[in-house]
Amino acid sequence: MHGLISHPVHRVALGGVTRYENGLLTVDERGAQVAFRDAALASVRVTWASPGDSVRIIKVLDAVEPRTKGPGPDGGGIFPGFVGPARPQSGGAPAHVLTGVALITAGYLPRAQEGLIDMSGPGADLSPFGSTHNLVIEFTPAAGASWEAVDVALRTGLLTLANRIAQSALGPSRSDHPPVRPSAASLPRIGAITNLQTQGTFKDVFVYGKSFARERPLPIDAHELFAGAVVSGQYGHPALKNPTYVHQNNPVATELLKRDGKDLTFVGVIISPEPVDQAAKEQISAQAAQLCADLKMDGVVLTKEGGGNADADVALKMDALDTLGIASVGLFAEMGGPDGTAPPLVVPPDRATGMVSTGNYDELVTLSAMERALGGETVDVLSAPATAPLTAPTAVIYCSLSPMGAGRLTCREVVQ
Amino acid sequence: MTARVVHYLNQFFAGLGGEDKADTPPGVKPGAVGPGRKLQELLGADAQIVATVYCGDDHAAAERGAPAAIVQLIARERPDIVVLGPAFTSGRYGVACALVAAAAQRAGIPAIASLHPDNPGLDDAGAAIVIASGASVREMGPSLERIAQAVRKRLAGEPLTDADGRIGKTPRKNVLATDRSALRAVDLLLARMKGDKGRTEVPVPRFDRITPAPPVDPAKARVALLTEGGLVPQGNPDRLESARATRWLRYKIGEKTGLKSGEHMSVHGGFSTVWANQDPHRILPLDVARELEKEGAIGELFGEYFVTTGNGTTVPNARRFGVEWAAELRRAGVQAAVLTAT
Repeated sequence: MHGLISHPVHRVALGGVTRYENGLLTVDERGAQVAFRDAALASVRVTWASPGDSVRIIKVLDAVEPRTKGPGPDGGGIFPGFVGPARPQSGGAPAHVLTGVALITAGYLPRAQEGLIDMSGPGADLSPFGSTHNLVIEFTPAAGASWEAVDVALRTGLLTLANRIAQSALGPSRSDHPPVRPSAASLPRIGAITNLQTQGTFKDVFVYGKSFARERPLPIDAHELFAGAVVSGQYGHPALKNPTYVHQNNPVATELLKRDGKDLTFVGVIISPEPVDQAAKEQISAQAAQLCADLKMDGVVLTKEGGGNADADVALKMDALDTLGIASVGLFAEMGGPDGTAPPLVVPPDRATGMVSTGNYDELVTLSAMERALGGETVDVLSAPATAPLTAPTAVIYCSLSPMGAGRLTCREVVQ
Repeated sequence: MTARVVHYLNQFFAGLGGEDKADTPPGVKPGAVGPGRKLQELLGADAQIVATVYCGDDHAAAERGAPAAIVQLIARERPDIVVLGPAFTSGRYGVACALVAAAAQRAGIPAIASLHPDNPGLDDAGAAIVIASGASVREMGPSLERIAQAVRKRLAGEPLTDADGRIGKTPRKNVLATDRSALRAVDLLLARMKGDKGRTEVPVPRFDRITPAPPVDPAKARVALLTEGGLVPQGNPDRLESARATRWLRYKIGEKTGLKSGEHMSVHGGFSTVWANQDPHRILPLDVARELEKEGAIGELFGEYFVTTGNGTTVPNARRFGVEWAAELRRAGVQAAVLTAT
């Protein structure tokens, strides 16, 4: 049985025991630290940052939503390949979700481009994580540990902790998703292609625990995504990245599932790598389009991760789908310069021109001073103290231009 | 009250000379000069051209900081408005008019530039107003008439539209939509499938198509190495941006036959720099270029390399780098260049 069971969190605290009761989530501070026990880490600190707090989280790495599918260390198969066994979990229990909460790692890693989240002020509306209760995990690497080992330890710890915290909500309850009923044959058959940015260590995405870099496009059940089959290790382009949290909540799949049987038939999701060279991009794009045709899709929504070259992975697939007579819409962030007058895209589709804008990467935003910062003391990319008022491109705000469609930002023409 | 107008012209229209004077630094002449005299007639008594600011095309387009220096000269005249051009289809002049107009507008001085719709400078005008000029100097008269009308309207606070010959971009600004992007994407897809085929949130941009210059004989050419791979001296002393570059840098290679690991690094934020740092020739092929030079396959290697970061760089900035690089290389007598992209 598939499905999701939501447990809303309204208040949070640190305490001696991890417990979820009447909307209050208490996290055992020592227990949280134990989840990160690893030879590569000297210590970790955990702190809550809640909406409205005068807090800026900087050097944000991954964000994960607490989820589990059952008791025990394997969590009933949650996060397959990391916590649960590395295989599809179809037929497993529904996933229990603590909604309104994110677990966030923050601190220096090489190659990580600095992203920030403001919990109050004008920046809070721009990141999906400005309105979640965030358990921030800061870390000190062990002397002599390689950065690669630190990255692995942080990812393993974060997923382990997400399972353990969610287990506090286990118990009998009803699934959010009613059983799927066969939908009317006349409705258009719609699917999704989710591109994953796969460019090596610190810029990689994992599927069932393994890098997806050399893989082919793969059809995957949306509930596999909801159970954490896709995990992010990609720390480039903070505004244009897809943390694990967003994969767990795949916004397009969620939307299609919600409308399945109403105004469309949801066929399924195809995940695809974003290879680095042009020939591979063209080959993978043709293969993904062919899979959509094999699955008899009439229309496809496409998403990506990253900037410029990742646009090609969407545009090539849209044109390949057009060749096969399949309609498409792609989500793109604009790179229109600070004043919004430059060409919005570098690699647009030639023929299939249905595009949704997730906002302009370059537009400057002014952020308020904060009382406290987590994740570090300076925003190095702006050479500024972490708590200072900042003027920065939208590109530095974590997930502000969510290419998977998690945000509300878009662009409109404004006549002077 | 008579409005104060400053007019910007290149070295040719300011009466200083042609290509041989393209290096002229910025300067000021009192009152109207050249085409400015006709413009003054058309403006009548309501507006007076109090000064003409000029600059050589090469200097304005290639010298870093030139637009800012020109805006300083303009600001000193306390203008109510600055008029730039007409530049017709002239590339460097058009880019200069557009960059200065954008910088003036940012500094709070209303600016009207006059360019032909095909002028490559059009995309550099930022938030400044651009009015269409003719294609060449033969259409000076009608071009000036359109400028005069636009100046009068702008000074009266009236909006300028297509009907006034306004061209260029309408700024696209970030706004929060009611629904999140995933929902809007599904709605847009279903609408297009129902027949609303042209609907989109992002207009499809048009790009310049560049015709490559005719081939040169490499054995006789001075060849430059250029890269957008972010390769800089170790420690990045001049702080090249790792993404969204707004500038480029130049470094001497002198007589060097190669680049050593540990002395150079890539700051490019768009790929793993591990292999580039292990062997910088993976970004800038100085080693093989020297071999080709020794074999006589290429005439001579230019003694500097130019570098920027091509990661998230806007098209107008990339175009400006291209114009600046071309002017610099021409000045240095370079006939061919190898531009490595990552």
